[in-house]
Amino acid sequence: MATTTPLTAPAQAPEERRSTGNHAGRSKSELLSLYAAISPFYILFAIFGLFPIGFSLYLSFQNWNGIGAMRFVGLAQYQFMLSDPIFWKSIVNTFQIWFISTIPMLFFALVIAFMLNQQIRGRSAYRIAYFIPNVTSIVAIAIIFGSIFSNNFGLLNAALEGLHLDTVEWLNTPWGIKVAIAAMVIWRWTGYNAIIYLAGLQAIPTELYEAAKVDGANLWQVFFRITVPLLRPIILFTVITSTIGGMQLFTEPQVLVGNGGGPGSEGSTMVLYLYQQAFINNQFGYGAAIGWGLFVIMILFSLINWRLVQGAGNRGSRKGVRA
Amino acid sequence: MAPNRRTFLAAASGLLGTALLGTSGCGARGSYLTPEGTISLWYWNRSISDTLLAKTPKATGVRLVPQKIGGDFKSKFLTSLAGKAYIPDIVGLNEDVATYFPDADQFVDLFDVGAKDVESEFLDWKWQRGVTPDGRMVGFPMDTGPTALFYRADLFEKAGLPSEPDQVAQAMDTWEKYLEAGSTLVKKMPKKTYMMPNVDMVYNQALAQQGKRYMDEKNKFIGDGPQVREPWDLAVDAYRRRITSNTNDWTSDWNAAMSTGRVASFVGAVWMGQVLTDAASGTAGKWRVCRAPGGAGNSGGSFLGIPKSCRDPEAAFKVIRYLQSPENQVVYGLNEMQLYPSAIAAIDDRRAQVKDKFYGGQVINEVFGTSAKAVKPVYLSPYDNVVGPAFSDQITNIWSAGKNPDRAWKDALTEADRQLSHLGLI
Repeated sequence: MATTTPLTAPAQAPEERRSTGNHAGRSKSELLSLYAAISPFYILFAIFGLFPIGFSLYLSFQNWNGIGAMRFVGLAQYQFMLSDPIFWKSIVNTFQIWFISTIPMLFFALVIAFMLNQQIRGRSAYRIAYFIPNVTSIVAIAIIFGSIFSNNFGLLNAALEGLHLDTVEWLNTPWGIKVAIAAMVIWRWTGYNAIIYLAGLQAIPTELYEAAKVDGANLWQVFFRITVPLLRPIILFTVITSTIGGMQLFTEPQVLVGNGGGPGSEGSTMVLYLYQQAFINNQFGYGAAIGWGLFVIMILFSLINWRLVQGAGNRGSRKGVRA
Repeated sequence: MAPNRRTFLAAASGLLGTALLGTSGCGARGSYLTPEGTISLWYWNRSISDTLLAKTPKATGVRLVPQKIGGDFKSKFLTSLAGKAYIPDIVGLNEDVATYFPDADQFVDLFDVGAKDVESEFLDWKWQRGVTPDGRMVGFPMDTGPTALFYRADLFEKAGLPSEPDQVAQAMDTWEKYLEAGSTLVKKMPKKTYMMPNVDMVYNQALAQQGKRYMDEKNKFIGDGPQVREPWDLAVDAYRRRITSNTNDWTSDWNAAMSTGRVASFVGAVWMGQVLTDAASGTAGKWRVCRAPGGAGNSGGSFLGIPKSCRDPEAAFKVIRYLQSPENQVVYGLNEMQLYPSAIAAIDDRRAQVKDKFYGGQVINEVFGTSAKAVKPVYLSPYDNVVGPAFSDQITNIWSAGKNPDRAWKDALTEADRQLSHLGLI
């Protein structure tokens, strides 16, 4: 699209220039009212967007408990952050939870979307059923998952006991906590992603499937040779959105294992740690520094994502050329 | 009717005006949410009886406007302090009242408005907790949380342990004896029943019985002393004996453990009784309460403070005095809300001596009253909640990840050091 505009632009330019470029054609009051009409967004953005960003940067160079005077400490907060094992642990935790939740989640979502796309009776009912977890309150989910993963009386441990296997103290062990949190994420977001995949699936021409049927392809071949390749852009989109969601993981661990992230801070995520430092320990300067630390990590991660998307785009177009 | 251009612009500029006003209002002094001539009070759910608050204006002659603040109470209060706007005239402060001590000048010194007159009415140790080391009174005593041993008499009997409150208190007057009894109980009833819910409880409750904590009054770190090491060793002992069910507090697991009899006892504050009766109503009549091993302790409890910006500190203090009078602490605090009194007369009041069916008709106030009066005064510093987690996290690491206790102790000290140097204290 970007390449076509220079070609058509000169033809429209003279007229356009006259209407937008000529300020003398409008009275001052008219201009004022126009600016007034678009100003709410900019004012609200300045107050609730720009100011907090600037203030948090300022705060990250201070030591402040939220009440008394701020004390300028230079880069001490950042220095402390880099030597803070819990900060690094929370980053590792976030990525571990993200990894063990996103991959199964997107896989299940794809399979579910594929099945929902088949000619079955009561399709809409299934679609709604899969989407419902997404609109359920996280606090309610956490309570349910808390009792599923409970150490002594959990549903999961009862099942293990029934099978004469050893029980696991899910909410006390490092991996147990992460699996429990990841399970909540999977349960909540699988249906949501499935709906997005479903929309993508419906954009795939039915002729391809019909041709495959004629050629005698089985369900697995159809899935891996037609559905997955043609869904690639949609899959990338869901990878990016679940990356953003995964980096922001907060409520699930907070409700499941508390502000400290549970035994050994194994369930502490980056945002939860920020919240704990700023709003529980009242170290607002350090909290702000963590916020900027996260900002850097997110930038790095976005770059990686961007490269992935670009790379995939190039491969796709090359294939297109060859075909 | 569709709005025309003029009405749209008017509405838009109105919105703009509101936004600008909203921000410029921040700096203004005397911006209150309640009208002039009234006293506003911030409290959280179940910290003061609503019936009592409704009666207050008539009884004190002060136009009181109570505001129940839900969720993140402290954050909201700090936000109003930081913004210097909409600060309440009276505010509820939690057990961490000491975190306000470095900024005690943000509060009215309650001694200036006549707190001295009623000092003798209250438990001394509780009173001291609201006073800074240099003698400014920030928090006025509300409820307290004296601790005791809650136990299942039937399970103790089955395990061959004493089961009458007096006998239990005598046989388990130290933590060592209590832990030993735990080993006996677990041996007699293996796999199904544990002595206590978790290891952390031993550490926290034994620490709550000490006369010192992590910091001294000059904010020097003393957390490597015996007052911390002894509770630590007891917790390690409890872990080694395998007499805990590793059930975390405030979980459905804890509720289930209590209602099914998997856990035979725990040391907890008086308000845990409410949690217990809610969770395990089916076990009514089987529980008893007696003096805790290791002596009296306190966990929890709250205070009322008057921020500096208060419009009428005298009137505000009148309200505080009325709300926390011994009479009202018994009638509306203890008997209506299960908030344990800090006023001595309220603890001794005849109306507080109620036989409780849940505890087999025991008058549990006799136990908690004795405990409340025997708590040692302790200096809680503004930094206890910064240093404390370093130790409690390592205790958790010992029982949940099997970390070597000596290694854990060293790590706890290193971490406490790191946190304090971060604050610029060392």
